[in-house]
Amino acid sequence: MTKESPLTLELPWVEKYRPHKLDNIVGNEETVERLKLIANDGNMPHMIISGLPGIGKTTSIHCLALELLGPELYKSATLELNASDDRGIDVVRNRIKQFAQTKIQLPPGRHKIIILDEADSMTPGAQQALRRTMEIYSNTTRFAFACNQSSKIIEPLQSRCAILRYNKLADDQVLTRLLEVCKLENVQFNTEGLQALIFTAEGDMRQAINNLQSTVAGFGMVNDVNVFKIVDQPHPLVIRKMLRSCCSSQDIDNAIDLLDGLWVKGYSAIDIVTSAFKVAKTLPDINESKRLEVIKEIGFTHMRVLEGVSTYLQLCGMLAKICDI
Amino acid sequence: MVLVTDFFKAKKPAAKREQPSPPSGASAEEILASIPDAELPDTSDSQKLSFFQLQQRKAQAPQATGSVDIPEAKPHCLSGLTMVFTGVLPNLERTDAENIAKRYGAKVPKSISGKTSVVVIGDEAGPSKVQKIKKMHIKAISEEGFLQLLRSMPADGGSGGEAVKAKRKREEEESRIIQEAEAEEEQERARQQQAKIQHVPPSVSKHSSRLPAEPVREISNDDKLWTTKYAPTSTLQLCGNKGQVNKLRSWLLHWFDNAKNDFKDPGADGSGVFRACLISGPPGIGKTTAAHLIAEDLGFDVLEKNASDVRSKSLLNSDIKSVLNNTSVMGFFQNRHADVHQENERRFCLIMDEVDGMSSGDHGGAGALSQFCRITKMPMILICNDKSLPKMRTFDRVTYDLAFRRPSENEVKARIMTICHREKIKIDPSIIGQLVQTTNNDIRQMINLLSTVSKTQKTIGAEQSKDFSKSWQKQTVLKPFDIVGKLLNGQIYSPHSNHTLNDKIDLYFNDIDFTPLMVQENYLYTRPSNCRDDSDHLRRVAQAADDISASDRINSLIRSSEQQWSLLPFHAVMSSVKPSREVAGNISQRINFAGWLGQNSKQMKYQRLLQELQYHTRLRTSTDKKELRLEYVPLLAKRLAGPIVSQGENGIQPCIDVMDYYFLTREDWDTILDFGVGAAKGEAVLKKIPTKVKTAFTRTYNSSTHPIAIYKTGNSVGTTKSTASTVDYEDVIQDDTLKDDDDTEEKDDSKFDSKKDKLIKEVKPKKGAKRSKK
Repeated sequence: MTKESPLTLELPWVEKYRPHKLDNIVGNEETVERLKLIANDGNMPHMIISGLPGIGKTTSIHCLALELLGPELYKSATLELNASDDRGIDVVRNRIKQFAQTKIQLPPGRHKIIILDEADSMTPGAQQALRRTMEIYSNTTRFAFACNQSSKIIEPLQSRCAILRYNKLADDQVLTRLLEVCKLENVQFNTEGLQALIFTAEGDMRQAINNLQSTVAGFGMVNDVNVFKIVDQPHPLVIRKMLRSCCSSQDIDNAIDLLDGLWVKGYSAIDIVTSAFKVAKTLPDINESKRLEVIKEIGFTHMRVLEGVSTYLQLCGMLAKICDI
Repeated sequence: MVLVTDFFKAKKPAAKREQPSPPSGASAEEILASIPDAELPDTSDSQKLSFFQLQQRKAQAPQATGSVDIPEAKPHCLSGLTMVFTGVLPNLERTDAENIAKRYGAKVPKSISGKTSVVVIGDEAGPSKVQKIKKMHIKAISEEGFLQLLRSMPADGGSGGEAVKAKRKREEEESRIIQEAEAEEEQERARQQQAKIQHVPPSVSKHSSRLPAEPVREISNDDKLWTTKYAPTSTLQLCGNKGQVNKLRSWLLHWFDNAKNDFKDPGADGSGVFRACLISGPPGIGKTTAAHLIAEDLGFDVLEKNASDVRSKSLLNSDIKSVLNNTSVMGFFQNRHADVHQENERRFCLIMDEVDGMSSGDHGGAGALSQFCRITKMPMILICNDKSLPKMRTFDRVTYDLAFRRPSENEVKARIMTICHREKIKIDPSIIGQLVQTTNNDIRQMINLLSTVSKTQKTIGAEQSKDFSKSWQKQTVLKPFDIVGKLLNGQIYSPHSNHTLNDKIDLYFNDIDFTPLMVQENYLYTRPSNCRDDSDHLRRVAQAADDISASDRINSLIRSSEQQWSLLPFHAVMSSVKPSREVAGNISQRINFAGWLGQNSKQMKYQRLLQELQYHTRLRTSTDKKELRLEYVPLLAKRLAGPIVSQGENGIQPCIDVMDYYFLTREDWDTILDFGVGAAKGEAVLKKIPTKVKTAFTRTYNSSTHPIAIYKTGNSVGTTKSTASTVDYEDVIQDDTLKDDDDTEEKDDSKFDSKKDKLIKEVKPKKGAKRSKK
């Protein structure tokens, strides 16, 4: 899939390689295993799947619905609403309730499924209106919610559902999938490139695949330089090294050398400061109160940069101050 | 469960046959005796310690390190023992220790009583408890002793009397559960058969007449949700809240008798005067189920409305109101032989679910509903989660209040065990305690969790409990008070806690507006842990104050016109995490609500008044607001109030002269006195003036005319601003093509209008005064 290939209408790879079977879903084995059993046995409970973006929540619900109902019934027996649809209290009272009341002949153990994606963006009022609907029609209709924060779902709804939490994908899980995609798309890559993809995605499969596609579209070759160019984010490992040489060994020269490297590559001060902030929060081997001091210095530099003083001097000053702590 | 009983059966004869060779066969008492007594601290000097002192002492005691190997003990080895834990154990956290004891079958109450068989005592135990131990001669052991006990106790708690009794009780409980489960299954079968014979769908009468009838197609039990499958079918199966359920039943039973008395006779429990009743309580404890069961039990035809129905005032008026004195036709269709409740069968019972879920679109619904509660001709049962909400206040007097509480572990236990037995899941009884804890006593959630987990696991043992409890936890947004409580409590900062920095920052993100304010309000009221002395405390507070003030700078940048929201995490650190880390420790008093809001609005009010004052005095003074406040106001206050205070009524005229000179109004007089601080405080000065003089002053002032400076109306008139802005807005919308000149003219006009208004208001009383003079 190089630049020379003719412009064909091509799906984003995220869609193209979206799993259609529970078997193909990567990660969260235990939960997915449970879903597979549900798909086999039927009688799906109401459920809430919560977790970070890009780890397969929506995909799993779709797969589950598809496997439960089969491709023929899938269209008629599911109702999917996401944040792009109007999901105010009126829709819940009318459309969802009507759907719950409609009769569809389904094999035993199968139920109509209402999929509410991004449920955490529903208003509390609309969620309230779901409560009794979920109970009264539970013999014919089951609900599946996907959300990022389950705390945004009101307690009464949580009480009616089985809550499944999805964890971040492990790096090797992302890697396996990336390799599969690379093979199918005939992508040229090296190990560092994939490493960089995984690093920047932070367990978000969708982001990893998107970045892969953009890198391929832009440069053809997937190596770490190209990936970080696409992602446009200073390499967190460099930043971490920089901060650690300040904190642990008080070696300002080394830190400034690293900073120079980033600066020359053309990263703006704001890029460097924001990723420094992120890295500092989880700096290993440094106790928390010291980390807070480091964050304080970075934060103040962040403020100054935002106020317009985005100079190299500010960054050097920040490093010097961190050395001083 | 089956596993456990089998285990006992296998174990019992073996234990009996063996020679009682210590320690394996010894009774609990013997083993206990072999464990050395712990030293009881001397209590004579510390007779009275306040709660906070105690808390402090506990905080100073070394933190539990959690670095001890808990010996694997025999199952149920502590059964029959009643253990109380007190003080800080050197290696175990108290809750952990209690959980261990519970897991092995011990009873763990919180306080010492005559039944207590052993006390595990740690450092800094409360003096009253120590005294009690001494008085009652209860065996006290240290943590080491507790571990030794675990190691040496035989299974099932040995052969002591208590242990045997406990074991028998446990077995009885198990057999009862099995019986119950079998009975239920029997019932289920009978019901199904009956349904088959009659060819009547079993659940038609279950739902309200307004809902479409259930599909006639039989739904097999296996396809139902567990929560439906195991929903209680009689009031006896409800877990907990027995008292409230009985109250509800008797209220409903006597409803029509009460109606004959026109709801005048309160009756034995005072419920006779209410036409409606309000059930409140957290989700998942069986409120709706209880209401439905009782209503059906007494033969009412249930009409249910819930949050999925529109319940605005007009719809309630058209729908419900007409129903309130109707008769149900359901009664006519019932079979004659079921004539027990014949009278009730033609009667409705209205169940209004989720009353607090009335939201946008349900305009005026709550008010209308509370009206119905006064006039209804049929019983109404309202259900809500939180009765303390302001919108629920309308129901306060008109409804019979029944608060449902979360059922306790014991109340739930039997029910859960029954379900597990019927589903053929082996569950360790101690798991249920954990289930109860993680779900916050929410029965429905427990059943849901079980049904999901059981898809893959048919045996749930004690080992897996830890992973479950974490992933099962319901997540709700914390309230500001809880957030601050967590932040300022030292626990999350201890090196052993598994709270990462990100977790702490997340606490802030639960409520980004209030958390900083609440921290700022409460950061002084802690006793920092590991604080060396007072000066160290002071240093920490200073550091925290520094951080908070720095966070204010960040906040102003975030809320400025530039809207630098990317600074939000930094604000979280500086406003909440860092300062509370400095001062975290025991919170020595109740957590206060942020006072900043009140103070801020007060400040705004004074600013506004000062502005007005400046406009009034503009012709005589030539200074800005600040100078006016600092230089003029104290002097004016003296000259305006001084003569009246010292000379009484004679001082009135000089004061009015001063006011006229500065173009001050009567209201300004009050304002200027209000501005006083310290000894010149407005209230203090006003107290010195007798009421008679004050009224004379007002009268004299009103009876004469006073010069009024033409001044620009400022922010002082709240409405001016809004009208002006609406005019602007309309301009923009309506005539886009208007030239700028027109626009400004329009604006001028509007200003002129409002000014006129203000003046007219002030002129009017004067005219009246003149007339009265004539």
